[in-house]
Amino acid sequence: MNPQRSSARIRQVAGAAVVVAALMTTAACGGGGDKGKDGDKSGGKGAGFNAATGDKIANPSTKAGGTLKMISKQDLDSADPQRQYYGMAWDFSRFYSRQLVTYAAKPGNASSELVPDLAKANGKISNGGKTYTYELKDGIAWEDGTPITSKDIKYGISRIWAKEAITGGPTYLKQALDPKGEYQGPYKDKTSDGPKGIETPNDKTIVFNLATPNVDFEQMLAMPAGSPVKKEKDTGAKYQLKPFSSGPYKFESYAPKKSISLVRNDKWKKETDTVRAALPDKITVTINSNMEALDKLLIKGDYDVDMNGTGLTQSGRIEALKKHKDNVDNIQTSFTRYVDMTPVAPLNNVACRKAVVYATDFKSLQEVRGGEEAGGPLATTMLPTTIKGYDDYDPYGVKARGGKPDVAKAKEQLKACNQPDGFSTKISARSNNPGEKETAEALQQSLKAVGIKAEVEVIDGAESQSITGSPKVVKERKIGLIMTGWGPDFPTGQGFSQPLIDGRFIAPTGNYNGSETNDPAINKMFDDALKATDPDKAAEFYKQINHKTADIAAQMPFLYEKNFSWRSSRLTNVYSSTAYNGRYDYASLGVVK
Amino acid sequence: MTRGAPAATGPRTVLAYVIRRLFAVVMMLLVVTLTTFVIFFVLPKWAGQDPALLFVGKQTDAASIQGIREKLGLADPVLVQFWHFVQALFVGREYSSGTDVTQCAAPCFGYSFRTEQEVWPQLTDALPVTLSLAAGACLLWVVGGVAAGVVSALRRGTIWDRAAMSIALAGVSLPIYFTGLLSLAIFSFKLGWIEGEFASFSDDPAQWFQSLLLPWITLAFLYAAMYARLTRASMLEILGEDYIRTARAKGLTERVVISKHAMRSTWTPVLTLLGLDLGALLGGAILTESTYNLPGLGRLAVDAIAQKDLPVILGVTLIAAIFICVANLLVDMLYAVIDPRVRLG
Amino acid sequence: MTAPLHDTSPDADKAAPADVAADVAKKSVEGRSLRQIAWTRLKRDKLALAGGIVVVFLVLVALFAPLIVSLLGHPPDEFHQDKIDPLFGVAKGLDDSMFAGVSSDFLLGVEPGNGRDVFSRIVYGARISLLVAFLAAVVAVVLGTVLGIVAGYFGGWIDSVISRVMDMLLAFPQLLFIISLVSVLPGDLLGMTGSSVRIFILVMVIGFFGWPYIGRIVRGQTLSLREKEYVEAARSLGAGRAYILFKELLPNLVAPITVYTTLMIPTNILTEAALSFLNAGVKPPTASWGQMLSKAINTYESDPLFMIAPGLAIFITVLAFNLFGDGVRDALDPKGTR
Repeated sequence: MNPQRSSARIRQVAGAAVVVAALMTTAACGGGGDKGKDGDKSGGKGAGFNAATGDKIANPSTKAGGTLKMISKQDLDSADPQRQYYGMAWDFSRFYSRQLVTYAAKPGNASSELVPDLAKANGKISNGGKTYTYELKDGIAWEDGTPITSKDIKYGISRIWAKEAITGGPTYLKQALDPKGEYQGPYKDKTSDGPKGIETPNDKTIVFNLATPNVDFEQMLAMPAGSPVKKEKDTGAKYQLKPFSSGPYKFESYAPKKSISLVRNDKWKKETDTVRAALPDKITVTINSNMEALDKLLIKGDYDVDMNGTGLTQSGRIEALKKHKDNVDNIQTSFTRYVDMTPVAPLNNVACRKAVVYATDFKSLQEVRGGEEAGGPLATTMLPTTIKGYDDYDPYGVKARGGKPDVAKAKEQLKACNQPDGFSTKISARSNNPGEKETAEALQQSLKAVGIKAEVEVIDGAESQSITGSPKVVKERKIGLIMTGWGPDFPTGQGFSQPLIDGRFIAPTGNYNGSETNDPAINKMFDDALKATDPDKAAEFYKQINHKTADIAAQMPFLYEKNFSWRSSRLTNVYSSTAYNGRYDYASLGVVK
Repeated sequence: MTRGAPAATGPRTVLAYVIRRLFAVVMMLLVVTLTTFVIFFVLPKWAGQDPALLFVGKQTDAASIQGIREKLGLADPVLVQFWHFVQALFVGREYSSGTDVTQCAAPCFGYSFRTEQEVWPQLTDALPVTLSLAAGACLLWVVGGVAAGVVSALRRGTIWDRAAMSIALAGVSLPIYFTGLLSLAIFSFKLGWIEGEFASFSDDPAQWFQSLLLPWITLAFLYAAMYARLTRASMLEILGEDYIRTARAKGLTERVVISKHAMRSTWTPVLTLLGLDLGALLGGAILTESTYNLPGLGRLAVDAIAQKDLPVILGVTLIAAIFICVANLLVDMLYAVIDPRVRLG
Repeated sequence: MTAPLHDTSPDADKAAPADVAADVAKKSVEGRSLRQIAWTRLKRDKLALAGGIVVVFLVLVALFAPLIVSLLGHPPDEFHQDKIDPLFGVAKGLDDSMFAGVSSDFLLGVEPGNGRDVFSRIVYGARISLLVAFLAAVVAVVLGTVLGIVAGYFGGWIDSVISRVMDMLLAFPQLLFIISLVSVLPGDLLGMTGSSVRIFILVMVIGFFGWPYIGRIVRGQTLSLREKEYVEAARSLGAGRAYILFKELLPNLVAPITVYTTLMIPTNILTEAALSFLNAGVKPPTASWGQMLSKAINTYESDPLFMIAPGLAIFITVLAFNLFGDGVRDALDPKGTR
């Protein structure tokens, strides 16, 4: 050992420090190389900020051609129409699957209207609301040119019953037509001719006989689950790798979790379809699970639109709003961000739940999620503003206080709940849901002020069905508060609220009624709403359900979610569709070549 | 691994040694796989969760769960499930739930029911990315690290020595997810020199090179440090040994002494480390691939863990363990070839 | 030479591995103990000392975090959303200067989104980082020493089993394995709740994968010591196995164990940070450097300081430990070269 060596090493460290310092300085003050290369590849300019929100259409056009390039952080949950449940998948499947009726190709709330698609007209309702009859259009064809028949529609719908292979999709149609589950599905039951509730007197007619009336039955038929499937082309669980097209595009290739490529289906005839514009010649989807990178590629102009449609990330938002505001839409979705209050003690006591509501700093939660614009306006009840039955009911005076907490009232409720010093509980948040963990931390922080100690438990999104979706696990893990969000399956009170608050929907797994509310009065109101003869009468019941839910503080809604969506300069015919939770109506999109 | 006491060498002992080592490798892979299996199929159950739920999607009715259970054989005892998994690696497998049968050909690393995809092609798709990353970075760090180490040793105490060792010191102390972000902030965001996503070499060589350049450099920076220090240390040691002095005394030029004699012995520790590092890296450079958004095995694993795609996690873990074990084995073999002092025991 | 059964005099033979000791005995005519020599050497190594001082400083920071933060910052969990532009989610005014969020009130600026005091979180982050690294090193040293000695001393099948286990652990894809494990374990475990659960898991897992490194060295040293005269002598005097193992062998293993422990801590710090970066670290709202870096991915372009602060914290800490560890190794290295 010698002093010389020691001093040599001092110089080494000094050197190391210089290397690092040099890197830092460059990071901090490096010349803004971005300047001057603003023009993206398309060369064009965006249609303007918010050009595709509300009732507006950005770049209306009927010009066909080009490739629509989509990108997404995740793949479709399935490409099989009977297995899809993600909103983006339903929007995307409009390219290759048609239903008897579907949502109108109109901007904003007008999109919620159901218009005939494969059928000549909307259903003829008879038998006290229990029978729906449809006549099919002429000239509708599969991608091999054979005509689409009523039997194909029946076969497609019957696949919903084959739950051993056709997993994942919604089962509303099964519930409406065969609530007892007598039919076994087309794979197990090869003898019978499908579920009893569906009749096909000829190739052009299909008749549905419901067990009990349901005012929203057509909404269920409009889901991709109501799509036809050609029996000879059905490959069971593997059908999702190459669905047989009934729409304007067909699958050219599909590499799950990587890419999708659709090309024109030349057997589809424009005159049989009043909904799909079918402008691009080709549609590609690239999956890239890195959301920040994804936003950069969008902004750079490599892609046109985010198929997932949940908006730009924080970093993407900053860059887009600062440099390319004309390519951005601030979209109001039909998503409500809320906290489920589970029956884990002491939250089984209504006063304790109310204490949580009063103690919550709604403003803080809103700001963590991006404030009024990037997060969304404050919510005081569960129903989104676009759904009939919504009103500005605010039993806890949240809006009147500007979203700020009312500590005095919270403490009062804590006393009423016999927990004057507060209590301990847990908040679950999903790791794959941007901002959910941060929101849970904000809630944790505001509850601390009244002595409620809440621990944040981050769970993997994929596990939510077996953790927060399982009342047993919720109880075991003592999760009192579930941070979550919900969008309607179809734009009515039934499609939004029933899975969340109807006690008969509580399930041992995959449960969405996280508060485990089973209130006979609420259940009855759902029954009455379904029997109503028109949607406006049903809405009156949904309004009462919505109020009642707020009164018992079963859930604590806090935001009606908004996001910033990117629309490339190449995109034409862009508008936000309420029927697809505020996403752009993909079937209408076109591109400048 | 086993570098036991010297023993007599002969073709027979070598063969016995190789067989013994291969057997150890197989045992090790079995244990790694079994442990992973236990983590994902037993622990969740113990915590009250049902692994079948991870495969069914949003609508979880009893029939779907039952279907998955039958297909995956989740009702069987864990060891039986494990045996089926191992068996499938060699002879393939058939997943059946009565009406629905799914074939998975050997080598069957499992099957994702969410995406209706075999795991093996997912692994083989990701492997070239990791290979590209590892090969490029390895080339850089070996060349850079060894050169820096040799220069430092020969020019001990000079400015070169200090500069090289300074960088080495910074290198070993900087986490890659920090240097990675820093490099992206500078070269991609501020200067705009590097942009775009990863492309495979066959699709677009220029983009392939561009997208890998930063990861190569940062990764090499991290590893080069260790190689430089190692090379310098062993070089210094060797230069002091008798046979080098003898070589010099014989009148050989310094160049010959260094390149023929000193370097040869320096390679031994370098190759040992290299084998181990490469083995670990090929199993997925998790942090590098996450930071730079490269679709290699590491990213595949991280995404699969987040999505609880159990068959993929199992597959990546097994592949990673195979790389590590094989690298270990190769290193030990090479050891014997390069350095005659080492005997197999 | 008499068997040093009575451990009273600072005899060089006992304080160091035997070959080292022999070496030293030849060189040090004054008969100083290796410990003394090492200390003299260490004192002369300015850089190792500097590293050591930084280490001590960091330990003090971690110990007195609450005091430091009460004097110079805000509680680490306190939100300051008035400092944040909600639309962009970062501190107001960052367009003009990357130091916009920095003030005498907030020495290192504020965290994006919620405006928490970055300085306070860095200070508290040191606690997690050091705690996990130290405890994991302790676990590794205890396991490694005990199993290494046992393997080396007893040999035979015991040695085979332990060596095989060590080989196996070294062949494990560790990071992959740890994030998998953390991702399936529930939030509460064995009656523990909150962040202590994750700290416990991190310590056990990092320590568990660390012991084979120590174990191998200890085993090797034990193998060579086993046949030494004084152990033989102790054995012939009828000393029990446990006595020989822990009274005779252990003291001679102190030097290599010390070196590897100091060099293991920076590795553990990096592992903890990496796990936190991959969201397998402590639970929110507990501050940790890796988690801060992970969050910085969203904002590093608009708020580089929030990435640089935790990154530098990790760098400085790891560098200090590496310097100190290098110094200790050199000081205990009998050859004095390298």
